[in-house]
Amino acid sequence: MIDTLFSGLIHGGAYALVAVGVSLIFGVTNIVNFAQGSLVAVGMMLAWYTGSVLGWPIIPVVVAVIVVTALLGWLINAGIIAPLEGRKPIAALLATIGVGQILDNGLQIVFGARTRPFPKLLDTSNLQVAGVRFGTSDIVMVAVTVLAMLGLWAFLTYGKAGRAIRATAQDPQAAQQMGIPVKRIRNLAFVIGAVLSGIAGIFIGLFNGNINPMNGGTIGLTAFVAAAIGGLGSIPGAVVGGIVLGVVEAVGVFWFGDGAHDLITFGALIIILIARPQGLLGPKTDVKSEPMTGTFLAGARPIALPWWGNLALAAALLATPFLFSDYLAGIGTQVAIYAIAAVGLTLISGSAGQTILGLAGPVAFGAYASAILTTQLHWPFLAALLAAGVIAALFASILTFPSWKLSGHYVAIATIGLGAVMVALIRVAEPLTHGSLGITGIPFPTVFGATLNTQQKIYLLDVIVLLVALVIVMRIQKAHLGHVFDAIGSDQEASEAIGIRPGAYKALAYAVAAFLAGLAGSLLAHQYTYVDPTIFNSNMSLLILTIIVLGGMNSPIGAVLGSIILIGAPELLRVVPEARILAYGALLVLVIMFRPQGLFARKG
Amino acid sequence: MSIQSRTIHRFLKTFAAAATATALIAGTAACGLDGDDGTADAADADVVNIGVLYPKTGQYAEYGRLFEQGLELAKDEVNADGGLQGKQLGLVYYDTQSDPKQDASVAPKLAADASVIAVVGDYASPASAAASPTFQQAGLVHYGFNNSSPTFTETGDHVWSPAIGTDSYERAYADAAAKIGKKVSVVYIENDWGKQAYEYFKEQAAKNGTEIVYESSYLPDSTDLSPILIPARDAKPDLIVDIGYGPDGALIANTLRDKLGYEGPFFGGQETAEFLDLAGDNAEGAVITGSFSAEGTENPGAQAFVKAFKERYGNNPGNFEVTAYQAIKDLAYAANKTEPTREGIQKALQTVDDFPLYQGNDTTFSFDQETRRAPGINPILLVVKDGKFVPYEA
Repeated sequence: MIDTLFSGLIHGGAYALVAVGVSLIFGVTNIVNFAQGSLVAVGMMLAWYTGSVLGWPIIPVVVAVIVVTALLGWLINAGIIAPLEGRKPIAALLATIGVGQILDNGLQIVFGARTRPFPKLLDTSNLQVAGVRFGTSDIVMVAVTVLAMLGLWAFLTYGKAGRAIRATAQDPQAAQQMGIPVKRIRNLAFVIGAVLSGIAGIFIGLFNGNINPMNGGTIGLTAFVAAAIGGLGSIPGAVVGGIVLGVVEAVGVFWFGDGAHDLITFGALIIILIARPQGLLGPKTDVKSEPMTGTFLAGARPIALPWWGNLALAAALLATPFLFSDYLAGIGTQVAIYAIAAVGLTLISGSAGQTILGLAGPVAFGAYASAILTTQLHWPFLAALLAAGVIAALFASILTFPSWKLSGHYVAIATIGLGAVMVALIRVAEPLTHGSLGITGIPFPTVFGATLNTQQKIYLLDVIVLLVALVIVMRIQKAHLGHVFDAIGSDQEASEAIGIRPGAYKALAYAVAAFLAGLAGSLLAHQYTYVDPTIFNSNMSLLILTIIVLGGMNSPIGAVLGSIILIGAPELLRVVPEARILAYGALLVLVIMFRPQGLFARKG
Repeated sequence: MSIQSRTIHRFLKTFAAAATATALIAGTAACGLDGDDGTADAADADVVNIGVLYPKTGQYAEYGRLFEQGLELAKDEVNADGGLQGKQLGLVYYDTQSDPKQDASVAPKLAADASVIAVVGDYASPASAAASPTFQQAGLVHYGFNNSSPTFTETGDHVWSPAIGTDSYERAYADAAAKIGKKVSVVYIENDWGKQAYEYFKEQAAKNGTEIVYESSYLPDSTDLSPILIPARDAKPDLIVDIGYGPDGALIANTLRDKLGYEGPFFGGQETAEFLDLAGDNAEGAVITGSFSAEGTENPGAQAFVKAFKERYGNNPGNFEVTAYQAIKDLAYAANKTEPTREGIQKALQTVDDFPLYQGNDTTFSFDQETRRAPGINPILLVVKDGKFVPYEA
């Protein structure tokens, strides 16, 4: 057991180092930087290239990493984040997601997808405690973490620039009036955060031994969980959070096996968020007052078509299955299924202003519910479809309910955890779901005795469900209920003051979204005739959110448009596969910068 | 009306026009809900194609690269030998990133392409399985040469796999393990393949009277496996077995040897340059199951393949390259035995009993018509010796 605790401590040290960077950026800019993990990967790959291919020793490697990541940090802030100044911070959050995707895929294009051994810049297994060996690298890593923590603390408390950073974080306008060059200070904070990430990349590379350009996503996410556990914004908290997470994971995995890894990591996050939302060392007051709710496009209105316009579009959509070739209909099914899930998301993320980064969870529940009901209990398809929606809504609502007392970024963080936990639960509930083996032989949809066995027939069904989803969501938006959602999204305090209970309404909006996500999951399962947990990954959640950002956060028709572009366009881009994987991230960044209200919405 | 909204209206108009135009163009291709008539003019073309679903980009791109080498070599050899009854063989590649969503999207395109007489791929089973129903409906053979999952061929009678079944692999593995000792610790990758493979391993181990003293799965993206390898080591096994792939196999070998000081025998890894590179000296002595050894094969067809491959690419082929190569050779053989059409391929798979084999020591194989798999191909054991995989004698 001592071995396990010790190895958990070392791993926790690695988490802590990245978490410090996450917390620093959040603390001084109020931005959750989702690109942090990708910057770690940049540092890691660069260290691999200079250390392994060019054969440089550690000092020049470190210098190269510092220079490149500093430059990147500056570029990201000056080019993308700074222009978003004055918008709701959620815009910056989404932009960093886009930046992260561009960096991850860019690294893959540059270095290839191969996993490589990291150069042994320092000894990694020359020392021993109990039955576990470790190395100079681990000692230096922990030392760097502690030094970074102390150094930052001293810098922020006593340094001139450090104090300016803090002043800027507290009140940018006041800071400006006091003569602080706010722009330059923000750049400085980003550069420091990026350099920390790059250096962390070197040590993570040494710790992991094997590295891959696509590692950034996982590294960022775990560091993020560590920072949230410790308390976002608190630098000692990040160190404590990293170590706690490392030890909890090690002990949990020791007991339950690594198959339960995700459940342990994200379970720990959710427990902390529910029990102590500000994290272990976070300041108590901050959470409630964070000005981060709201669609970042305050006042943006979806473009409303006249009734005949809607009707004509609906008729045109219904006609497509009769006109499309197999290929177009095949793409159409995917577009329609993602649109169904996205249309639901416009209610909770658009109107009610809660960023949901875990919608793959309810999609998975819907898919599995439908698969199990039809293959094991032999339910007819239509009944299973409806049940899939209801089950997804029910379970997702129950699991998510405690997070509605959170606000701002914490909702987004909690939903990341919940999405992962829901899929992990499916993996663990083996007798019912076959776990990782997946469910095969799911029948094609059968409607009133007719089996839908061509692309066009399945597409027609998807289109009909999509139209129903659109009608439901647009009716809700127009009704009193929709205005209540809007009120919560625009100003939660004000809506509370007039007697609205935000928590309950957010839960309701989310339940509708989860219901539609469940329908989408069911349609997916019956088209693929196969499901397993790997299908419902965080990319799926991210894609659905990106769809509505593109179309207009609170525009249901925009969601359809966004789905056509994001699911359909990559098919058109098949001729240039390398560019294809960069397109999502680039599109996300461009839309947020230049058309923040989305394609199918106008500014209020 | 503001400039903004006027732009939008203009955009909307363009969009509607584009949608109508697309629909009209598409309308010439199909009408009604019954789908395209795929095979109408296949007989007239000079080139017939095999569709390839594979990960050119994304997390599995390394395997896609290995596949492509084997596929291209086989295609060129087929064409140099006179093609398919005088017609040129072409490969149409679709990069799916081995992502089910993308497989489902491109499958109808392949099915509707009259020049395509069969489809090979994808790398991962969930991705392949998402495409199979479409090919089954279109009467197009789906030849999943890398899909060893026992349920893969269940979608229908046009879904075939020459991949050695997971069951035979794991039986051979468990038998080899039994010769080393009575007590084993096993870790396996947590996905559809790993789970199934471990079940077969456990079953055979029980038959052999091997005691499994520790077991745990691990997630493919876990970076620190000490918490499961410490108890695996402390259970005092005669042997530690990993059922997984290359990068994770290397992580386990490195953790066991470098961090946990384990010096006993280790089974695990993958027959790729990547694994050997990642595990370095720690790979030495690692035993895996495979179908093919470039160094040790005595099959003349395989020897010729190794020679040709080495000439073209400068390195020895591994299991991924040989299975991809063989898939094209098999389908070409099928087309030449009957006719280069969708029906011809299906008929050949059902009737021909001497498909060329480049793995193991036999030179031909045939399909079991019940399971549409190739039960006659036997796995072999490989061991890392001096940084290379060579045949292993237990």
